[in-house]
Amino acid sequence: MRTSDLPASISLWRKIVNKLMTILVIVAVILAVIPLLLILGDVVIRGAPALSLGFLIHSLPTSTKGLSGGIGPAIVGSFTMVGIAALISVPIGVGAGIFFSEWASSRLSTISGFMNDVLTGFPSIVIGLFVFVIIVLPTKQSSAFAGGVALSFVMLPIIARTTGESLKLVPMTLREASMALGIPRWKTVIRIVISTGKRGLLTGILLAVARATGETAPILLTASTSIYFAKSIFQPTASLTVFIYNYGTSGSASWQTEAWGAALVLILIMLGLNLLVKLTIGRNPIGARMEL
Amino acid sequence: MQRLLDKGLEELTTLVYKMGKDAEKAVAISIRGFLEGKEASSNVHELSEILVGTTVEVEEKAFGLIVKYQPVASDLRIINSYMKVAYDFERYSRYAWDISFISTRFNGQSACNKWIYDYISKMAEKVLQMIAISISSVKSLDTELVKKITRTEQGVDKMYLEFLGKLVEQAGITNECTISSTLVVRYLERIADHATHIMEDVVYIATGEKVTLR
Amino acid sequence: MLGGTLKISKHKNLDLSSVKLATKDLKAQFGKAQVLKGINLNFPENKVTAIMGPSGCGKTTLIRCLNRIHELTPNAKVEGEVILDGVNIYSPQVDPVVVRRRIGMVFQKANPFPTMSIFDNAVAGLKLAGVRDKEKLDSVAEKSLRMAFLWDEVKDDLKKSGVNLSGGQQQRLCIARALAVEPEVVLMDEPCSALDPLATAKIEESIVALKKEFTIIIVTHNMQQAARISDFTAFMYLGQLIEFDTTSEVFENPKSELTEKYITGKFG
Repeated sequence: MRTSDLPASISLWRKIVNKLMTILVIVAVILAVIPLLLILGDVVIRGAPALSLGFLIHSLPTSTKGLSGGIGPAIVGSFTMVGIAALISVPIGVGAGIFFSEWASSRLSTISGFMNDVLTGFPSIVIGLFVFVIIVLPTKQSSAFAGGVALSFVMLPIIARTTGESLKLVPMTLREASMALGIPRWKTVIRIVISTGKRGLLTGILLAVARATGETAPILLTASTSIYFAKSIFQPTASLTVFIYNYGTSGSASWQTEAWGAALVLILIMLGLNLLVKLTIGRNPIGARMEL
Repeated sequence: MQRLLDKGLEELTTLVYKMGKDAEKAVAISIRGFLEGKEASSNVHELSEILVGTTVEVEEKAFGLIVKYQPVASDLRIINSYMKVAYDFERYSRYAWDISFISTRFNGQSACNKWIYDYISKMAEKVLQMIAISISSVKSLDTELVKKITRTEQGVDKMYLEFLGKLVEQAGITNECTISSTLVVRYLERIADHATHIMEDVVYIATGEKVTLR
Repeated sequence: MLGGTLKISKHKNLDLSSVKLATKDLKAQFGKAQVLKGINLNFPENKVTAIMGPSGCGKTTLIRCLNRIHELTPNAKVEGEVILDGVNIYSPQVDPVVVRRRIGMVFQKANPFPTMSIFDNAVAGLKLAGVRDKEKLDSVAEKSLRMAFLWDEVKDDLKKSGVNLSGGQQQRLCIARALAVEPEVVLMDEPCSALDPLATAKIEESIVALKKEFTIIIVTHNMQQAARISDFTAFMYLGQLIEFDTTSEVFENPKSELTEKYITGKFG
């Protein structure tokens, strides 16, 4: 076969199709990214005016037009509830993840894994309703505690799944090497498997935290809201997301601006968390390290 | 399934077998030359030269196979043994050359008594038999004829010693005949020895056992 | 196809003066497949025994049964006995963890712990068992790295990560790691199969030096390697032991036709 045998018309056609496809996918990417850019832009423009140090830490009204103020309590409240959620979901989630990985072949692992994945995609408002019924109603009390519990239901399946998958990535041969040295199984799991997979674990936890920080429905139903710094976790507590909801849908223009300000803060927190995730995976991802 | 080594082994076998045949021819010609008083040295000489060259060829080929294929077990035994067998075949031709040299040098047409020629003729027959067996055994790797060759070798040895004794008895003087016949008989005995070596190698190739048949 | 009876060689001239490890009718299953069909093998002390055979003959399963690693695979089952110094390591009173300290293993692909330094890798077996004495750890690290012929190359970089070494060095690190817990038997599953000839040569050198102190059992695909470094060779086929003899006998004059066919490449 010589170049003169190849019909020129076909190759031209192929060139055109290639170019077209390339352009189409580039357009698709741009379209996909636009919503994010628009929202970000909007939030920044509308929220920036509300930002000030006082805004961030104060709770006392800074304007004379009705009750309002800073988002100090909201920030603290959000962190508190996510913190409580983490305290509950991290140990249980990591434990479940270890089970998914180290007993991967068992029936229990397959079944509970499936159930775990169902919970991951669960409508968070249903979770909120559930916690409302089991904690808020009996105690007749909205609380950060209830909010934390609700958020833990959101975080738990994420942590369990990512922990499980990260640990599964640790090659079997490392476990065998450890056991061949006469190290018992539980020590192998803790000192070798988890140690090798710890980046993945951290990533999973951060992702879960980011998700929980952005949740509204569960804490709306369980922690309610407040304009004060909560004095205990068994009281109604403010949160960024609920603050945005309340103040954003209010009639007052200045309150709406504050809502945008809170939105901006929330977005910045989310971005920060995502960057943290990138940093932890970015350096020496487990997969690349194993291959030699 | 043909291995890469198999082609090399085939070539090696062909070379060695041809050597055997050429050597056999050389010995037969040289003995006839001696017994009939005919000039045979140039033929024998030619064959002998060829065999010397082929010995080197066999060695090089065998070495080449070892380097390339790192043979083991029966393959290694064959290659190793063929190098020795090639040497033994070359020895056949060397003694053939020696015999023809004696013929030429001493040129004893009717110098010897008939009994000497008869004796040598009988001995040569046995030796040629042994040569034939050795060559065919190398090809077939058949160890069946080991007993036969051992018996024949013993016979040749006996004849050799008997002849020397008879010669001392009967021939009072030393002349061309006594010397030439002694040498020829000696060469025949040596050829028989090498035939036995070859048989030992055949047994080694076939069974892996190292035996002494002498 | 390779019909006829499979002969087990009777090693009449075999000097098995002391047997360190022996298997008695060892059978192993993997799911429904019977991988080992009853192996009786004696491994002489302070010698290198090579186990050879075509893929699927069960040689890897065999050595994994020797240190009770095979049973860790799901669906794996082991029957029969493996006797170390007169004691069956599969008897219920025996703790597999202890067995594995006395019978160490080096794997086909080097597997140093990625989160540990060279030093920590070498003494991992001790550290993870709770040994804290710095002096002891230092001396064990040096001793085992020397035995693995790796000390000179890494002695100035002991804190470097264990995975930042070449393939051959990593494998020697794994050998050092296995030796550090002072086992009596060292099992090696094709330790050089992923390495270049130079790295392989270094490891073979170390194996020959090691047999003074340890009993070594090595699975290898490479017949020339078995011929080079082993004192005894076992040939397996389809889960059975076909021949066991001194290496020079097996490679010069194998008793079983199957062995002869395999080592001369006439299989298939």
